[in-house]
Amino acid sequence: MGNNKKQNFKTPEGYFENFHERLMQKINAEEDTKTLSFLPKSDGFKVPKSYFEGVQERVAAQLQERKTKVIPLHPYRKYKYAIASVAAIFLLFLGLNLRTEAPVAFEDLASAEIDAYLEQTELNLSSYELAEIVSLEGTELNDVMDIPLESENILEYLDENIEDIEELNLNFEDYE
Amino acid sequence: MIAEEDLVHQLKQPDTREKAFAVLVNTHKERLYWHIRRIVMDHDDADDVLQNTFIKVYRNIEGFKGDSKLYSWMYRIATNESITFIKQRSKKMGVSDEELKNRMIKNLEADVYFEGDEIQIKLQKALSTLPDKQKLVFNMKYYQEMKYEEISEVLETSVGALKTSYHLAVKKIEAYLKED
Repeated sequence: MGNNKKQNFKTPEGYFENFHERLMQKINAEEDTKTLSFLPKSDGFKVPKSYFEGVQERVAAQLQERKTKVIPLHPYRKYKYAIASVAAIFLLFLGLNLRTEAPVAFEDLASAEIDAYLEQTELNLSSYELAEIVSLEGTELNDVMDIPLESENILEYLDENIEDIEELNLNFEDYE
Repeated sequence: MIAEEDLVHQLKQPDTREKAFAVLVNTHKERLYWHIRRIVMDHDDADDVLQNTFIKVYRNIEGFKGDSKLYSWMYRIATNESITFIKQRSKKMGVSDEELKNRMIKNLEADVYFEGDEIQIKLQKALSTLPDKQKLVFNMKYYQEMKYEEISEVLETSVGALKTSYHLAVKKIEAYLKED
């Protein structure tokens, strides 16, 4: 491409050489710092003076304090039948030996006592703690869901929760 | 500044763990605090969640495999801890998450660590109408000034999807703020 002989305007020396690079820098800078005029510069949150200076000491103190405590982890659901079985056998053994007249019903214990314990006790397990004690391999997704995971439920959920379901490029014919 | 790989290595060695952990906390405390604070809103709650986050990091560092960056792993823990905190509180109070969020915004008006006026309160109300993920993306991008690539690592979502979320969030917030 030759020079345009009729062009009377001039550009600074080397102007076009780095044009693309400079343009991309500007685009990236704009993308990163673009302010929106309808938004306040600050969202209003602030912290007490010198708050951050003491964070590390407080975390260290918390760790020290918690190290001395034993935190029991209660395996959830997966182990309740095992617990129920052991408890039932123990009670049955006691019952037989002491010749008490009150019969021990295994089903009652399993469904009532253990369920009540699990429901009333604040297990307070985070997803991380659960992940530590429940192996993923042995868990089917449908075991832990109230509603079975079927195509119909998934579509219904997506329809209610996704802004534009058509953007997902689903093949609707498969579900009709 | 110590390289991340070296820091992770030191965190996994019992004899260097304490010192490395102090470095880790001091490096990330501010960014993590602001991330948490924008989810739980109250300073004292944010302080509790921040401490719990670091304690989880300390206890689980042995299991950190380095598939993602350390900071994005910590951000994920902070996000989960914050969301879990809100869910536990709404459960304890016997109200829905929505109702709790409304109460949290109302409490901001009397919060000494919130120096917002009408527009800031309205912004929080606008943010509370967004789906959780859109709100997270908006705060991380706009007020925490994170890059899409960083947010992508934390939320495990593609950059394209994040841009869409951000765009939708901005449109909704703008519409809400321009309402009378």
